[in-house]
Amino acid sequence: MSALGHYLEEEGISTVAIALIRKQAEHTRPPRALWVPFELGRPIGPPSEAAFQTRVILAALGLLEAPKQASLIVDFPDDDPREALDPKWRPPIASAAAPEGPAEIAEAVEAELRALAAAYAASCTARERSTVGVSGLPPVACGEYLAAWLRGKRPASPVADMSLALALRFAIDDLKAFALEAALRAGTKPSSKQLGDWLWNVTALGAALQVLRQNCLAGDDERLKAVAAFFVPALRVPAG
Amino acid sequence: MRLERLPPEMAKRLGELECPNFTTTPWVAGPPLKDRRVAIVSSAGLTVRGDRVFRGRDADYRAIPSATQANDLLCSHISINFDRNGFQEDWNVVFPLDRLNELAAEGTIGSVAATHYSFMGATDPLQMVDGAKEVAGRLKADNVDAVLLTSV
Repeated sequence: MSALGHYLEEEGISTVAIALIRKQAEHTRPPRALWVPFELGRPIGPPSEAAFQTRVILAALGLLEAPKQASLIVDFPDDDPREALDPKWRPPIASAAAPEGPAEIAEAVEAELRALAAAYAASCTARERSTVGVSGLPPVACGEYLAAWLRGKRPASPVADMSLALALRFAIDDLKAFALEAALRAGTKPSSKQLGDWLWNVTALGAALQVLRQNCLAGDDERLKAVAAFFVPALRVPAG
Repeated sequence: MRLERLPPEMAKRLGELECPNFTTTPWVAGPPLKDRRVAIVSSAGLTVRGDRVFRGRDADYRAIPSATQANDLLCSHISINFDRNGFQEDWNVVFPLDRLNELAAEGTIGSVAATHYSFMGATDPLQMVDGAKEVAGRLKADNVDAVLLTSV
């Protein structure tokens, strides 16, 4: 991102970057950057905290009025208040017993997605939006596609212009978004850790993605091996 | 991000990621903030629903008109190792268009660009040069004189 600042500035446009990784900004030396201490994925800070977000933006835009120098990197002083756990938050559905075999996991995922549908719909209504859609498939079709893979099938791509591996990756992205958005319950402020702990430690979907990742990595299809790296975040891959 | 909060290996990898080593230090001055026209350029792999999603380390960019509704902005960044929950709850976490519109309405900034842009941040920055130049031309045609760059 800091490199983009360099390119745009060379073309005659003033820029200020919000940098999440200070060392990268120090290496690239953008004209102006505000380093923020927030977790990766949150350059403007906490969701649903407009006043805090505005402070971040003004701290960044204010650097546009600083006197000329080789590279200006300033630190934002405050941490993201949404890192704190919200004791009021509860998972959107009751947890079920952990399934064991791949077929049982596939069945559990499909049942879980059906159970989450009402919470997802309520969440979409409350937020007036959804981020589900990168695969181009509805969530039910994403779930069916994932379940077929879990049952040991090798289903053709359900998306006309996507390979089966790419369709699988995007269907999984959509399913994770579906579940996590279902967990965004009005009146609560869950941290990303709370939501991640629920998805990866409790849900059938999380268990299914761990299994599918292992299966793809153990197979001999290089495309599936490559795409399996995008099923489970590095911090959620079991050690060893 | 406070790298010390990450596992040491991940912190080391992120901190030591190869970055371009520029020999020049361009700096463009401009009018006071209250007179600036501001655009967002994001590296979050954002696309408008219906547009082509980023499929890997694509080096091109996507345009995001200011009239885009929050329900129509998707994130197809290749990395899954950053938080998506913030964006899912509130698009301003990554794409602060509502905040910029508020700042323009109160006169803190001059105005908000007609179009914003997104790249795929995991792409080699050296491959983005042509796209960045093209975006610069489009920004200038829109009279933009300040860009807020948001990474993820």
